[in-house]
Amino acid sequence: MTAALGRNLVLLALLASTVGAVVGSATAARGSAVGWAWTRRLAYLFAAAMVAANGLMVWALLARDFSVSYVAQVGSLSVPNWVAVVSLWSSLEGSILFWGLVIGGYVGVATWANRDRHPEYMPWAVAVWLACGAFFAFLLAGPAQPFQTVSPVPADGPGPNPLLQNHLLMAIHPPFLYLGFVGMTIPFGLASAALLTGRLGHDFLRPLRTWLMLPWTFLTVAIVLGGWWAYEVLGWGGYWAWDPVENASFLPWLTATAALHSALLSERKGVLKGWTVTLVLATFLLTILGTFMTRSGVFNSVHSFTQSAIGPTIFVFLVLALAWSIALLALRIDRLAAEGTVEPALGRDSLFLVNNLLFVLFTFTVLLGTVFPLLVEALRGVQMSVGRPYFDRMAVPLGIALLLLMGVGPALPWGRATPQQVRQALVPPLMGAALVTAVAAALGVRRPWTLLALAFGGYTLQVTLRELWLPLARRRARGESLGRALVESGFLRGRRRFGSYVVHAGAAVVIVAIAVSSTMGTSREAQLKVGEKTQVGAYTLTFLAVDEVSEPHREAVVARVGVSRGGRELGVLSPRMNQYERQREPIGTPAVRSSLFEDLYLSVMNIDSASGSLGLLAMVNPMVGWIWAATALMALGSLVSLVPSRADTRP
Amino acid sequence: MSQPVVGERKPRALNQRVLLLGFLVVAPLVAVLLLNLGRDPHVIDSPLVGRAAPEFTLQPLDGGEPVTLASLRGRPLVLNFWATWCVPCFQEHPLLVSAARALGDRARFIGVIYEDSEEQVQGFLARQGSAYPSLLDPGSRTAIAFGIFGVPETYFIDAEGRIAAKHVGPLDAASLEAKLRQAGLSP
Repeated sequence: MTAALGRNLVLLALLASTVGAVVGSATAARGSAVGWAWTRRLAYLFAAAMVAANGLMVWALLARDFSVSYVAQVGSLSVPNWVAVVSLWSSLEGSILFWGLVIGGYVGVATWANRDRHPEYMPWAVAVWLACGAFFAFLLAGPAQPFQTVSPVPADGPGPNPLLQNHLLMAIHPPFLYLGFVGMTIPFGLASAALLTGRLGHDFLRPLRTWLMLPWTFLTVAIVLGGWWAYEVLGWGGYWAWDPVENASFLPWLTATAALHSALLSERKGVLKGWTVTLVLATFLLTILGTFMTRSGVFNSVHSFTQSAIGPTIFVFLVLALAWSIALLALRIDRLAAEGTVEPALGRDSLFLVNNLLFVLFTFTVLLGTVFPLLVEALRGVQMSVGRPYFDRMAVPLGIALLLLMGVGPALPWGRATPQQVRQALVPPLMGAALVTAVAAALGVRRPWTLLALAFGGYTLQVTLRELWLPLARRRARGESLGRALVESGFLRGRRRFGSYVVHAGAAVVIVAIAVSSTMGTSREAQLKVGEKTQVGAYTLTFLAVDEVSEPHREAVVARVGVSRGGRELGVLSPRMNQYERQREPIGTPAVRSSLFEDLYLSVMNIDSASGSLGLLAMVNPMVGWIWAATALMALGSLVSLVPSRADTRP
Repeated sequence: MSQPVVGERKPRALNQRVLLLGFLVVAPLVAVLLLNLGRDPHVIDSPLVGRAAPEFTLQPLDGGEPVTLASLRGRPLVLNFWATWCVPCFQEHPLLVSAARALGDRARFIGVIYEDSEEQVQGFLARQGSAYPSLLDPGSRTAIAFGIFGVPETYFIDAEGRIAAKHVGPLDAASLEAKLRQAGLSP
């Protein structure tokens, strides 16, 4: 019953999106008001059907309705309700259904927001969105049906993958990732519309950039949440491993970041339009590639879903989307003629080009490292991995160069700068660089790459703070009160600019924190009996006791470890090993004690409650917490610049 | 992809450079993915294939004498690790039952229960039918000895007790027959 209703909702979504895509394209080609109204109605219908299908699945998961195949696969009587809800995206079919919800939501909202704007572009855009929506509805109707009827109805199910039950972050990370990934469909549709009409006017660059920035924000947060989850759950003390699935989320982030910058230049100077559109298309294509990587079983990773018929289907969609994008670009890119030129001289404009070059280089580097093992395996039949050394060697210089560019670019004036202007702009921030480097050296930082990152970080932070301060200072100089100047420059008139620099400040801190945390940590492995002590960094750790804890959906063996520093007691940390029902391998949960500058990170390697022995991995990770905090700052800045300004809300 | 600095240019119907560049970037990627499509990196050839199967002594579900691997020699053996909570096991169950019935004395079938309760299994077999013994594996010792990653996994053991083949995931009629042949089933 529930399953049949779910299948019908999926079919309704498929019908609405297919017809909508056809009506939308016909409308765009001929231009009829009635056709446009119907296109919008079908977009809303598609959104509603997807929302309803997801609501139904959540209800079935909560009711433990095992007659629905997906519930029989991932549901369980023994899991708490929040896990039951999270199960929606814990397995293959459900994750595609959830994808449907997100694409439905985006298409519904983006259509509504532009219902009476940009009439020459919007029918094309909505048609492209609905075509993408139709593909996912097709997946749900065919290769990845979550609503199959199971008969006879099982009495209980196995529950979702225990890794997903192990931490609350798993309830937050995937939705953000989907909001980021799926959201790239919207700028893809807008960019396609620009190419199809052969126009990309100033008025249309704004929504393009806004709708790119929104999913970009989600993707940024999602990538870092994924790292945070790995850090809090996987127990090896790191947050990024260049795993293919991590790379899958990083690749579109790189091109989207490049596109945000080139779109700004397109908007200001009327140049690089074709290039901006290319980056937007590439971002969407990389999200589909990423989806293929996680859903096809071709890549081996802790994150990926197992193999299924969905892989080949997504592959076909990827090939179609690639062909569409290349054909569209080849046929129309010359129509997006530039209205100006980039001065071939040192200035902010030309550094935008360097920025784009670096981001594209970064994208190809990561893409090559991700795909290369597949090539070797296909040709020689051996499993291999290019692994961390390759990625680190390539990513460190690129990341540090981008960090410096984030300082030098905004410091320079637009257009052509005179040598004197260049000097005036670039010399003062050396103070910030020197200051940060000196402090770091005093604290014992000796590695050249780390010092370089810190120096560039100081440089960029000084520039960024100055750019944040400057409009405020100008208003103050004109006699405005401090409060008014702050509100006007930060939140009203200069909001987009202000928000962008807040994002820059956050990004600079993230890069510095990554550089410090990955090079300046200490770690110690110790085998302890109850009562024994070990030392890591400035901390003394005492193994106090072993407890066995029984929870509804898992059993756990918990190590109680007393922590003190310099003779002062800091409390007890409890890293643990969880044993889930029906899983042979136990899953550890590390314990983390964060302070302003460093984390103490304890992870159980092995534990035996009978003999009271503990294998402990203890680490001191400096500045890791700064990554999470600075990402929140990036998201905040991005939200500030996303809020529509008065100019945007005028019809 | 156009070059970043776009100067004055006459619009053309088709920008062949963009087409060529796009093709050069995309074609190798598509080719590599295509070559790897259908491959499952999680399937690692079991190091046990070709070697003697690990010895075991397990209690049957319905009581009776313990079953040892040695006592099962002399005929090809299908050793199926399964559980009632596993949906693919549910799917392959009818095939295994009908094959066991059809082959009669020409091959032996044994189920090994993986992480499940006796009552659940008894209820399942009562509803779905059974044609061969299922063995209890307390503490999953036998499953560990065979290197089971998940259920269902099925080992095909020949008359001399050597592992001839392994199947991961639900069995279909064709692989069941082919792998039984590898274990020495006469046509």
